[in-house]
Amino acid sequence: MFQPLTPFKWLGILGAIIVMLLLPMVTQDTYLLHVLILAMVFGIFASAWNFVTGFAGLKTFGHHAFFALGAYGSALIGINLGLSAWLTIWLGGLIAALAGLFIGLPILRIRSMPHVAIVTLGFAEIVRITLSNLTDITRGELGLWGIPVFDGFTVPGLGEVVFSPADKVPYYYLAFALLLLSVGVITALMRSKTGLSLIAMRDGEDAAESLGINLTRQKLQVFVVSSFLVGVAGAFYAHYITILTPAAVAGVDLMILIIAMVLVGGLGTLSGPLVGALVLTILVEFLRDLDTFRMLVYGAIIILSVMFLPKGLVTLGRRWKRPPDAAATEAE
Amino acid sequence: MTIYLFIEQIINGLIIGSTYALIGSGIALIYGTMRVLNLAHGEFYMLGGYFVFYLAVTMGLAPWIAIPTAVFGAFLLGMAIQRTTIHFLFGREGWMFSTIAATLGLSIFLQNAALLLFGEQFQTVPYYVSGVVELGQVRIPAQRILIFAVSMATIGVMTYVLKYTRLGWAIRATSQDRDAAAVVGIPAERIYMITFGIAAALGAIAAAMLAPIYSINPWSGLPILLKGFVVVILGGLGSFPGAIAGGLILGVVEAVGVQVTSSEWRDVISFGLMIAVIWWRPWGLFGQKPS
Repeated sequence: MFQPLTPFKWLGILGAIIVMLLLPMVTQDTYLLHVLILAMVFGIFASAWNFVTGFAGLKTFGHHAFFALGAYGSALIGINLGLSAWLTIWLGGLIAALAGLFIGLPILRIRSMPHVAIVTLGFAEIVRITLSNLTDITRGELGLWGIPVFDGFTVPGLGEVVFSPADKVPYYYLAFALLLLSVGVITALMRSKTGLSLIAMRDGEDAAESLGINLTRQKLQVFVVSSFLVGVAGAFYAHYITILTPAAVAGVDLMILIIAMVLVGGLGTLSGPLVGALVLTILVEFLRDLDTFRMLVYGAIIILSVMFLPKGLVTLGRRWKRPPDAAATEAE
Repeated sequence: MTIYLFIEQIINGLIIGSTYALIGSGIALIYGTMRVLNLAHGEFYMLGGYFVFYLAVTMGLAPWIAIPTAVFGAFLLGMAIQRTTIHFLFGREGWMFSTIAATLGLSIFLQNAALLLFGEQFQTVPYYVSGVVELGQVRIPAQRILIFAVSMATIGVMTYVLKYTRLGWAIRATSQDRDAAAVVGIPAERIYMITFGIAAALGAIAAAMLAPIYSINPWSGLPILLKGFVVVILGGLGSFPGAIAGGLILGVVEAVGVQVTSSEWRDVISFGLMIAVIWWRPWGLFGQKPS
């Protein structure tokens, strides 16, 4: 990820962006756009989780807490204070980032991976239970509804842009903008000195520290940025779906979905989480009729991908092209 | 609230805590031996509960036959799961993370398999013993005394096995140094399988004892897994005696906490306690501070 991108790769990225931008002009099928919007929200979540887990080597299993905090934070501010969704999604991200700071500090003091996994999972459960218990504020498992949608505006030359359930196109472009922003932030950070320190840390904490890298500060920065991005994704989701329940946004099932996406796509790669999010969101839609089997399939996907596809889909091509021994030296 | 009611709550906390200790010690045993964090441990508890239900209620066997059979079934299941998944990941590049991820996948897989096989209705098992034991004004149902007795006896047996039997020596030797153990002829792979089996059996014993007072359902694994995690954090991850103390402490803290707030905040109290311990003593209340 540190080699300068080849012209071929630049073309690939540009092509993907153009295809995504042009798609709503070809089809305005509500269902298709809805699936793609969800894939993009999950893509942001998956990229941000991968940023912490794949790049910074902090194996957290409780990132859905930040999704829920962003979603509920933004929705509640919007409902109670009447602020515009355009503002509250960033406030939602900020709330998630503060929570990330709070939980990041203690777990960064420990270097043991299982401790990090346990504490983040426990924290997410605290968030879920609190959201379902504070029924006066959140309406608990009955669901929080009446969440304001994004305000419309007028674009000169294009006419009025209205965010309504019937027209998915504005949501599609907004989700795409947030996705580009998130991936852009992560890529920029990975290509900066931070990124180099991260990789050094992941490959050998003691060695990195002996070279003067401040482990705690770097990791905390990544953790907070990642929580912020997940929070913004959650906030967008809240104003898009306009109904929230603790089980849907703070349940461990959501985290499992994201983990499956990243593992299938490729942990520790930039494009892996996006590919995984797209592939699995579409797969879910195919499985819609088999709803009872959905989570069973996710469980199986996680087990099979760590066993048989440890580096994910996006590295398959690379592995086929090169002889195994070359791939092995590259891994070192 | 009278003082007697308060004492009853503390005793109840210790009783429930003894089953948390069983769960925690299973997690600690696997982690201590293999350095694998088993996120599927709650499913051993959940499936153990169903095994007991089918043997004791559906088939109508006496509890003293049904429970040992269910526990043995869980032992075999634990070994089978280790052999078919963890075995292939262990020692490979990034195995510490891949085993956590795989057991998470296993957990969700087993939970939903149970949902399809057993349905979503909540099941329960009748009390194994009836009656109430009275100590002055403090009244404890005999069933709860039995829970405590069986949990403590199981922990006693496990401590004996780990300390004084050849199997226990082999498990401890493998956990200290796998290669050195292999040099003196201990089959590490087999020890890992047996360890997983024992941990699953411990989970099933906890499930059998709690089945009459808690319901058996496909979702019961995750909450108990998280309780087990709190226990191992309190006691120090991988420490068997720490897990026992941690379980009892958690039971009492929950019982008192629920008295102060209300029962829906029970889990928040235990996870809050865990995060507080992580802030204050990340190596656990009884663990050694790493140098």
